Amino acid sequence: MSTRKTIRLTVNGKPYEREVEARLTLADFIRHELHLGGTHVGCEHGICGACTILIDGSSARACLTLAVQADGASITTIEGLRNRETGQLHPIQQAFVDAHGLQCGFCTPGFIMTTLELLGENPDPTDEEIKEALGGNLCRCTGYQSILDSVRLAASRINTATAA
Amino acid sequence: MAIDIPTRTDQLPTSATRFIGKAVNRIEDPALVSGTVEFIDNLSLPGMLHCAILRSPHPHARITAIDASAALELPGVEAVLTGEDVERWCDPCFTAPEGWGNYCLAVGKVRFVGEPVVAVAASSRYIAEDALELIQVEYEVLDPVANPDEAMASGAPLVFENRGTNVIQSRTYTWGEVDRVFAEADRVVSRQFRWNRVGANPTETFGCICQWDLADNSLTCRGAYQTPRFMAIGRAASLRLPANKVKIISHAQGGGFGGKGGPRGTDIAALLSRKCDGRPVKYIEDRMEYLLAGGGQSWDRYYDAAIALKADGTVTGFKVRLVDDQGAGAEGYGTISAAKPLAAFTGNYRIEAAFYDLTLVATNRAPTYPYRGYGPPPHNLVLESLMDVAARELALDPAELRRRNYIGPEQFPYTVPSGNEYDSGNYAAVLDRVLELSDYKALRESQAKARAEGRLVGIAVVSTVEPGVFDWNAYATVGVPGVGVPEGVKVAVDVFGNITVAIGFNLQGQGQFTVAAQVVADYLGVEMNAVKVTTASTDVALPHFGQGGSRLGVAVTGAILGACDKLRQTFCRVVAHVMQTEPDQVELMNGRLQLKAAPAHGMTIAEVAGLMLSRSDLLPPGVEPCPEATFVWVSPNRNLPDDQGRCRSYLTAAAATHVVQVEIDRDTGQVKILGYYIVDDCGTRLNPANVEGQLQGGVAQGVGAALYEEYVYDPQCQPLVSTFVDYLMPTIHEVPMTVKDHIVTPSPIAPLGAKGCGEGAIHTTPAALLCAINDALAPLGLECRETPASPRRLWNLLHGQHGH
Ligand code: FES
Ligand code: FES
Repeated sequence: MSTRKTIRLTVNGKPYEREVEARLTLADFIRHELHLGGTHVGCEHGICGACTILIDGSSARACLTLAVQADGASITTIEGLRNRETGQLHPIQQAFVDAHGLQCGFCTPGFIMTTLELLGENPDPTDEEIKEALGGNLCRCTGYQSILDSVRLAASRINTATAA
Repeated sequence: MAIDIPTRTDQLPTSATRFIGKAVNRIEDPALVSGTVEFIDNLSLPGMLHCAILRSPHPHARITAIDASAALELPGVEAVLTGEDVERWCDPCFTAPEGWGNYCLAVGKVRFVGEPVVAVAASSRYIAEDALELIQVEYEVLDPVANPDEAMASGAPLVFENRGTNVIQSRTYTWGEVDRVFAEADRVVSRQFRWNRVGANPTETFGCICQWDLADNSLTCRGAYQTPRFMAIGRAASLRLPANKVKIISHAQGGGFGGKGGPRGTDIAALLSRKCDGRPVKYIEDRMEYLLAGGGQSWDRYYDAAIALKADGTVTGFKVRLVDDQGAGAEGYGTISAAKPLAAFTGNYRIEAAFYDLTLVATNRAPTYPYRGYGPPPHNLVLESLMDVAARELALDPAELRRRNYIGPEQFPYTVPSGNEYDSGNYAAVLDRVLELSDYKALRESQAKARAEGRLVGIAVVSTVEPGVFDWNAYATVGVPGVGVPEGVKVAVDVFGNITVAIGFNLQGQGQFTVAAQVVADYLGVEMNAVKVTTASTDVALPHFGQGGSRLGVAVTGAILGACDKLRQTFCRVVAHVMQTEPDQVELMNGRLQLKAAPAHGMTIAEVAGLMLSRSDLLPPGVEPCPEATFVWVSPNRNLPDDQGRCRSYLTAAAATHVVQVEIDRDTGQVKILGYYIVDDCGTRLNPANVEGQLQGGVAQGVGAALYEEYVYDPQCQPLVSTFVDYLMPTIHEVPMTVKDHIVTPSPIAPLGAKGCGEGAIHTTPAALLCAINDALAPLGLECRETPASPRRLWNLLHGQHGH
């Protein structure tokens, strides 16, 4: 129960070394040990997707992952998206603002992280591909329509920027 | 001073509104998309402990012994709270009707699975949960009361022994000559319906941090609080504190929809803090706790209803018998949800007489709580389903039957038989627009083609009225006192002309901070980014309620307009004094206080505020150096109900018609939504993007209620739902991307003509989907009259299996 282990990992580009309890979830580690509160917890059983982060570039559920499993990994959370110096939002974040892709915003970091993975792999997804990618994230507020709009907007802006 | 609340946007002191009516970006969003908003679990206080709760595994049992000694010995555990402490320190919570409340922890016996029995405070949540496993509770299991039939049977076990009955309330309402219209009817259509429990399930569950100040004997609670002052009063009563010794600090909430819960968790964390010498105690409800016993279960209903019709399709009467399974008492104010339908009992129609036979019953299911809409969604499903059955029997198109019965645009203000007064509307115009938008004729043609191919395709055209801006008087008949729901704000201008709006509630998702900024910016002629909206804690906030009853956009707008008008009047006095003229010679326009006769002469808002704060020598006598104003808005012209519950309750009546086309898969029972069209009319749209978001979100919850979501209990009253694997929340695959349009019939009495619009779609979508399903089933002679119309239920129906 109280087995402790030292882990080394990178979160949003910053290296950390911490001793953690073996049973500590990665969500709790990120939220309460590293004080990165943007990774939200909605169910703690892997269904809602609010806790979605990227581990070595792939989306993962922080609530179903143990901190010790992330030893050696490079993690991206919602806090890693905004430009640190200018404070400017990432184009995906800005698209969610502009297309009203959120209401309470509790699910939003999870949707944005899932979108980040999607657009990294498929910069110009069809609606069906977007739905497929977002099918594992629950939003109780928006009814998803404005989220779909946000992802489309983000994709088109990123593509325009890349083309220019 | 007389305060003027504009009911039209062209009455604002601006030559053209720059923000109101536009889909401006929300001021709350940059922080939300950055993940930096302080939801309650993001906050830690020095010395904070963590609470975990041991819950009842039985629906009904006497507690005979609790042994927590091993838990107390676990390193890190600071305190254990049991029913004994609670009985010593607390009272059961208030309810309406009175006397059906529980203590925050079970005292003597448990009444539902998941009821809190023992709570632990420890140095971490992990250790607190370890401690729960060391606690021994002995129970003497009692027979459960599993459903209303059992509850009302003679000799039934009693959920609350001291009440002597399981019936919380049983009464009838008669509005108009019901017996006559039914006796004279050419046709009576009647059906029974079963609406199974659903609930809010905001993505963030409830959470709080409570700290008991032992010296001052006062309590501070930070948390995901939807209605802060109401929560403070309730806590004061249950914890036996003076109300001014309970301070609630509301944090941003990850959704609420009425079903956030919180009283029990707050009281438990507060008492643990009291036991731990005032150290702060955090309680974060987890999803299993929420699903079992949080604020998330609503509307567990058995309906028997009928409408009376004339041969030409005129509906003359509506009778509803409702037996409502409230679960284990009334702690969650689920009772109100059975009273709220009075605000729009007969929907969009000129039905002259109505009858409501209402029985509220206690069982050993979890207590019911509010959920968006607060009762009308099942009621509307009943009325609209009966309209469709009638249309089928009369061989009339369902759209045509509705049109024949609509209240006409010239009939407003219109008093419905159950007493409320609708402010305005044009239902036929809404219908015309949605039939056009959906190309209804083409939909029917495609349905005919599909039917010819043997496919089960159905269409519905469903209309509802959304009562907006609730008032306590609407709930008087279940024991809620009072008329008027105050909402207060303070608008303050600083020495540089920046503006702070202090309100009594926090973010929950509907965008009210943005609406507040839009209204202030347009009224005072500043940019939206000059406006800061901030939440006042309950010890300093003005009277307020916060989100609820589809009211806050309208209510906060009214409050801000009132405060701005007070500011305007003060500024006019100051400027008149400086310019040596009379206040009535000065006007506010586009952010300047100027001479009416010579508009080039004037001062900006910032100049006036700066002058007031830094040049007392220039102030007129009697004017304080305070460029700030407060205003507490309340719905105008509300009144006390009569003995049949009739009163002017909800201020506004928005309306919508949804057209939906569905197909049922014969092999799986799965319903596919082929097209979904909405036209609504909620008066002035203060921020159209917010309105559309409310609509679409309501559709999603309506889809869940109609097709997937259900709190299933077994015959022994054991819940079979405890995770999102069992409680099926709609994903992006299940929710239709709707086609929307609107018409605008402003409210003649509400601030800026805006109507409550937060609940309309969930009022309509379940009815629309069930009606479309039954339209699809009609050629088979089948009807589904139970929600959710899940694949299993429809498959059983299609394949002749009973017990669907
Ligand atoms: S919190 Fe991890 S999936 Fe819900
Ligand atoms: S915005 Fe509230 S859950 Fe998605």
